[in-house]
Amino acid sequence: MKKGVYLLTSLLIVGSLLLSACSDQKEAAPSSTNTTQTEQGSKDQPTATPAASPAGESGLSAPYDAADMSKLPAVAKQRTDTIIVGLTDPSGAFTPYFIQSGYDANVNSLLFSSLVTVDEKGLPIPDMAEKWDVSDDQLTYTYHLRKDLKFSDGSPMTADDVAFTWTLLFDKSYDGDSMIPTLPVKGGQAYKEGKAQSIEGIKVIDPLTVSVTLEKPNATALVMLGDKVLSKAYYGKDYKFGQLEYIKKLHSNPVGNGPYKLEKFIPGQEVRFVANENYFKGKPKTEHFIYKTSEGDTWQYLETGEVDYASFSATTENIDKLKSLGFVNIIPYTPSTYGYLQVNLEHEALKDKKVRQALAYGLDRQSIYVDANQGAGAVANIPSSPISWAYTEDGINPYKFDTEKAKQLLDEAGWKEGAGGIREKDGKQLVIHYLGSKSKQTDIFIAVAKENFQAMGVKFEPEVFADFNSLVSKVEGGDYDLVSFSTPMLTDPSDGLVQFVDGEIKGYDNPKVKELYDKGLATSDIEERKKVYKEIFQLLNDELPIIFTSYKKTVYGYNGRIENLAVSPFVGLANSLPDWSLKPAQ
Amino acid sequence: MSAYLTKRISYMLIILLAASLLIFSLYALTPGDYISNNIKLSPERKAELREIYGFNKPLMERYGIWMKNAFHGDFGYSLAQQKPVLTLFNEYIWNSFLLASVSTFLTWLIAVIIGVVSAYKQYSWFDTLVMVLIFAAMSLPSFFIGLFLIKVIAVDLKWLPPGGMLTTGSNATGWAYVKEVIRHMTLPVVVMTLLGVGSLTRYFRSNLIDVIKQDYIRTARAKGLKESKVLFRHALRNALLPAITLVGFELPALFGGSLIIEKIFNWPGIGQLYMQSFGLRDYPLLMGFTMLIAILTVIGTLISDVLYHIADPRVRLH
Amino acid sequence: MSLNSTPLPGTIGSKITGPKSSSLFGQSMRRLLKNKLAISGLVVVIIMFLACFVGPFFSPYTDNKINMAMMNKAPSLKHWLGTDAMGRDVLTRVLQAGRISLTVGLASMVLSVFIGALLGAIAGYYRGIVDQVIMRIADLLLTIPGLPLLFIFGALLSDWKIPTEYRMYIVMFMLGFVNWPGLARMVRGQMLSLREREFMQAAVVLGLRDRRKLFNHLLPNIVPLLIVIATLNIGGSILSESVLSFFGLGVMPPTPTWGNMIDAANNLIDFQEHPWLWIPPGFSIFATVIAINIFGDGLRDVLDPKQKR
Repeated sequence: MKKGVYLLTSLLIVGSLLLSACSDQKEAAPSSTNTTQTEQGSKDQPTATPAASPAGESGLSAPYDAADMSKLPAVAKQRTDTIIVGLTDPSGAFTPYFIQSGYDANVNSLLFSSLVTVDEKGLPIPDMAEKWDVSDDQLTYTYHLRKDLKFSDGSPMTADDVAFTWTLLFDKSYDGDSMIPTLPVKGGQAYKEGKAQSIEGIKVIDPLTVSVTLEKPNATALVMLGDKVLSKAYYGKDYKFGQLEYIKKLHSNPVGNGPYKLEKFIPGQEVRFVANENYFKGKPKTEHFIYKTSEGDTWQYLETGEVDYASFSATTENIDKLKSLGFVNIIPYTPSTYGYLQVNLEHEALKDKKVRQALAYGLDRQSIYVDANQGAGAVANIPSSPISWAYTEDGINPYKFDTEKAKQLLDEAGWKEGAGGIREKDGKQLVIHYLGSKSKQTDIFIAVAKENFQAMGVKFEPEVFADFNSLVSKVEGGDYDLVSFSTPMLTDPSDGLVQFVDGEIKGYDNPKVKELYDKGLATSDIEERKKVYKEIFQLLNDELPIIFTSYKKTVYGYNGRIENLAVSPFVGLANSLPDWSLKPAQ
Repeated sequence: MSAYLTKRISYMLIILLAASLLIFSLYALTPGDYISNNIKLSPERKAELREIYGFNKPLMERYGIWMKNAFHGDFGYSLAQQKPVLTLFNEYIWNSFLLASVSTFLTWLIAVIIGVVSAYKQYSWFDTLVMVLIFAAMSLPSFFIGLFLIKVIAVDLKWLPPGGMLTTGSNATGWAYVKEVIRHMTLPVVVMTLLGVGSLTRYFRSNLIDVIKQDYIRTARAKGLKESKVLFRHALRNALLPAITLVGFELPALFGGSLIIEKIFNWPGIGQLYMQSFGLRDYPLLMGFTMLIAILTVIGTLISDVLYHIADPRVRLH
Repeated sequence: MSLNSTPLPGTIGSKITGPKSSSLFGQSMRRLLKNKLAISGLVVVIIMFLACFVGPFFSPYTDNKINMAMMNKAPSLKHWLGTDAMGRDVLTRVLQAGRISLTVGLASMVLSVFIGALLGAIAGYYRGIVDQVIMRIADLLLTIPGLPLLFIFGALLSDWKIPTEYRMYIVMFMLGFVNWPGLARMVRGQMLSLREREFMQAAVVLGLRDRRKLFNHLLPNIVPLLIVIATLNIGGSILSESVLSFFGLGVMPPTPTWGNMIDAANNLIDFQEHPWLWIPPGFSIFATVIAINIFGDGLRDVLDPKQKR
């Protein structure tokens, strides 16, 4: 009996290590990391299972106001000039364009304002640029800055800063995930390759006017280029082409132009902000704002008043519980994303449109995504979020769950029932190899799909991967038939279509889609674009190069004392935050 | 002894070298990298970034670069946190150490006390009750115990905070700061102690039962010594002696952080950081941390072997 | 431990006078049967096995059909332990889960104890170069991080197209292979100490062969230790299955195990609102752990050569 404990503790440690891995990864399911600007304090709760009543309609369609503010915990009552929101692990890299995760983006959106922002429909509205012009050929964008813009250190912000920011992103050593370097800015490529001293297409016209010229029209350029602006004096002091290392040293001391300034960053615990007196719309109403690092289940923090704001999956049970707390206001919210099953188009059986359609009919998406989630989801049929201005159901086939229809399509495609009830064609069985990453949603999917596929006469072979990253590696290897994914946040309707034209979906090459995609970007006229997107949606809805699955539904619960709170699906809290104020506690 | 130590230390270095290669290869083989995680990027941009980060270089070349830097005291730069790995360790490890050291101390203290009592009163109701509780704690995953305490103590009774290390927004300093930290660490320490105390108690109990049956205890009793004296002077000392060899093995655990507990209680520790970085495949940080733990493990093994000799001189060092 | 520890006359005597081990075994069994507590533990374990392997045949819900209209219902006459998030009967699932959890828990425990004990015993007995090699390999293995290893296993097994239902057993085997150092160190330490005792010196004087010394004299002395460790680990082993499932290395959903049933309730809402989701599997593990440990304690008492007869 000597070293007994060692083994035991070591086993316990390993066990616990792994278990924690579980709980941790549960949230790291698709679409979680590096999605920009979703202001979800804690991201979606791990899709809480439960349901007291048979699931059906979503529990909340309109904002709900706190019913009993007297239940507010004392901790939250005592705060007079501070608002606290939960946020999963911000990293400390607070320089825009160099951030490493969506959480850093949240921090960023308080520290920096954009030239152009978007309204709740995703349409551009002025922010630091008071107006802009687009040339008739749709190639040149001219931004007119507001007067008297200042950085948080008091220095003035001019068109030079804007030009510097854009130029920096075309540096060959730029390693961030901004999409700006992918825009066809005139001379951008030459600069990147070191053949030019500056970018030909970027012109500073006067201190308040800057313009940029593209080689090819792109309707997303206005908002994309109209992003955050770095101070040339601060971030450009040591800039030499091809060397961006120096910027890392500036990450922890941002100089911004947003509503708040960074007060203190306590790694793993808090990011504290203080109102920026130089903010161009005036100093925000609440002096202090804190992002509290909190991961996973945030119920306990909301319930005890440690945070003022948290996001939850819109399950009936979560909503009921939020209502019962008494002191929270609730707003329903649909993230601007869509979920889908990527189909391996390089596999013989799945090249056939009829087979793909059969799968869409034969899969009970209503049960998987809506009922099992107690209404915290909706069935998707096109590559666009329902909140987008381009969304339409006109001429869209809803692929309502219909096993008979699915069977009929499979018969037509030549897959006839063979031994053991599994369909065969040319002596080969119809087998669907499905990949998912470990999450509650995947478990639900596999359980239901197994029954559905069996009914259709398709052999279903599910495989689960420990996390999103290992799932992606497997998919890159090409050994799969179906895999569950969700898009990152989509601002422009074209964002949801990129994957059909940039080669991301291997084996899909439809010139018609490419043509329409370009057509959609060639004009800034919304009505014109709507028509084009409708056509694309109808086309993709029929062809199903991927099988559309679901939209998520979430709710935000927040302390009833906070006034003027609004959440935009595209920019999160950032737009309304400067106006937030705390009502006196009762 | 010193010859033994020299030999062991040289072995240790060889093992660490082998371990570094092994660990490096393991992480290199792990599916996914920091880039594949970002679903926003187009395939071309991904390739470009892999070029910038040097992910596409051959394995041995990357290992060589890593080792060379490590010998110069540079353990790399975290991709996700955008800070030098060592800075991050310094920011997070001490928080983990605080939790681990306090709970380890309590675990040992409680395990000794309960172990002695239940061994002495073997098969009594106390012994049985302790056993049932220990097994109950072992049958539930630790997140459950954590959730339970948060629910009851923090949310319902509001006696202690539900998580974190400081009250959000607090500017406390000095004594107030210490008090705040103590309040926040109570629940996680309780859970960690509960989880660890079980097997250790069983260990002490069965050790002591062994010792009590030995002839010299019989002799001591026969001499007419008082029971308490027999128990504490003779039995306990001999039962505890072998346990000190375990101390060495606690070394990596003290600095390694507790993954679940830190997560459940939102404790800003290294375990949580490691898990997060793993999800993101932030290899520089993962490598650095794993090497650190490897070094501590090897040192811990050495300490424990030496202590083993001290505790039981019959065991020859060689 | 004392210098004059009992030189086990009984054991050595029986060995010298010839193959009377069956009677020793019989003797132990008789004493075991007299230990009511230990036997009751064994009975509980047997009942658990029976219930899990036979029980589900009497359930009307064995097909595990999904029924969204019945999700998360509290226990009732129709569903004695309620239903889960997909409307499946919890009782049936707990019993079905037991089949896998019990098998896997016991198998992985036996495997890791076997490998660890064997290597530890060899290292401790032969010492010298053998010991150095084994223990340094152990040191090396202790430095390997578990997490990437599991991810790699997951990817490899997937690439090799091993059917998902067999993966768990392969991984259990691999883990047993990687996890031996802790136990091996412990057994080795015990061996180092034991071989210096008088009874071993006696064995050396008698000129016994290595194998005989190792298997007849040293191993019986560490059996009690092994039993305690093995039985203490059973709970961890059962739970570790859910960890493997988590990495895509265990059973595939919708097949239930106790571990993944508890895991499914890993949030405050389920914890609070649906206790029937986690109490049944939690209690099952608890009952198994405690029953096996009680039995293990009894077995230990009987097999420990140091215990008084």
